[in-house]
Amino acid sequence: MNLSSDPWVWIAALLSLAIFSFLYKENPFYRVAEHVFIGVANGYLVTFYWHNILVPVLFKPLFAGRLILIISFIIGTLYFTRFIPKISWLVRIPIGITIGYYTGAYIPAIIQASIIRQVQGTILTSANFAAWNAGPWGIVWSVIVFIGVLCTLSYFYFSKEHKGVLGVTSRIGIVFVMIGFGAAFGYTVMARVSLLIGRFQFLLGDWLGIIQ
Amino acid sequence: MVRGWRLKFIDRLTKIDRRIIYGILALVVILPLVFPTALKVKPMTPVEKLYEAVDNIPDEKALLLDCSYAPQIKAEVEPMAIAVLRHAFAKRKRVLVLALYVQMLGLAQKALTQVTGEFNSKAQTNADSIIYGRDYVFLGWTPPPLIPMLGMGESIAGVYPADYYGNQTDTLELMQQIKNYNNIGILVCLSGSAIPKSWVAYAQNRFGVAVGVGCTAVSGADFYPYYQTGQFSGLMVGMKGAAEYEELVEENLEIKEKRMASEAMLPMTYAHFVIMLFIIIGNIGYFIQRRRK
Repeated sequence: MNLSSDPWVWIAALLSLAIFSFLYKENPFYRVAEHVFIGVANGYLVTFYWHNILVPVLFKPLFAGRLILIISFIIGTLYFTRFIPKISWLVRIPIGITIGYYTGAYIPAIIQASIIRQVQGTILTSANFAAWNAGPWGIVWSVIVFIGVLCTLSYFYFSKEHKGVLGVTSRIGIVFVMIGFGAAFGYTVMARVSLLIGRFQFLLGDWLGIIQ
Repeated sequence: MVRGWRLKFIDRLTKIDRRIIYGILALVVILPLVFPTALKVKPMTPVEKLYEAVDNIPDEKALLLDCSYAPQIKAEVEPMAIAVLRHAFAKRKRVLVLALYVQMLGLAQKALTQVTGEFNSKAQTNADSIIYGRDYVFLGWTPPPLIPMLGMGESIAGVYPADYYGNQTDTLELMQQIKNYNNIGILVCLSGSAIPKSWVAYAQNRFGVAVGVGCTAVSGADFYPYYQTGQFSGLMVGMKGAAEYEELVEENLEIKEKRMASEAMLPMTYAHFVIMLFIIIGNIGYFIQRRRK
């Protein structure tokens, strides 16, 4: 055992233990650690944005004579009108600009990347069979994906009662959806266990020096 | 009497105190960490593809590493960053590192410092060393993420006029040759959010950049379709993916350094067994109780 002499490691370790203590029950140590985290995170963000964005990108060039930046400054400042009831409606201007910008930038790109290319990946073509790197099994996997997509889509088709052919396909669709949920849940368990292991590696290694 | 005892036992099965479960879980994680035994990891195809993509970066191009992982997912993604950096530096690939959000800068710098330190401690000459500005550049951070994603298609130094340390980017030796996405062999995004999809939507769709991904296990199920369509050149999922990449790096490049993810595979396996066991116990208790009613 080789205890760390670094005070920052001790602070991190004690805060980790304080957070873990919530697993036993709610307690003051947990609440202190939670409040410290929120305070530090916010303080860090505010100071970082001030020193790395607002000062070098806005204030310095503005005071150096780039007067065009005054438009950005005014639009940004309008966010604070929310605190003045009489003119609080002005907050809609920066919100509208932000929504408009991101909607315009995201929609075409996402349609291409997440819809058109994904549909292409579902179509039964020799290129898609080869993409599995599984020899003849590539055809099988592609057919399963094809059936899975069609059946899952049919499950979410609510304009007609799920009877007859639609009833059969939607039931198969549920199976695919459930397998998807199962895979997602399994991965979530793995992720959470990984984080737990990571913390123990820190506590047993960096702090207590039990493991190398 | 036996029946009464059995019913009591089944009742207890469905009402195990959660603190007992946490305690057992902690034990099965701690013991294999303290008394480790070797567990061989077999690399899967998506990880091998990513390794090959990094390995095949042409000499005149660079690896662009996006370290967009925050402290809460450090355990899963940091080993990926370290393994990819070891791989790139061992093969003398040129590396540009950036982060899309401010919280991630410290972790990116930590990974860079660790790996360059490992190489430089063994270096005999200047040529063997990993030198800032010549072999790698830490670009830092420019908000919002859309700006670097689109802007680097035209000029990397234009988006990052100064690097993380305040140097003028276009004066650095490496940046004389790496101007924009045309000089990037592959972009590897390490993240726990939907950022890799944005890289595909903007950098790949518009500029044709190859995108490789290392993500948290939670994102894994969402990202496999992008690997299947070829939008991701390779994919590492969770700590297991990181361990597989570490295995490839050690096996192919004979780099014997600490492997955080590989060391976690044994406790990971035991923890999964325990969770599966409790799920089975809980379900057995539930079905027996339901039949009784």
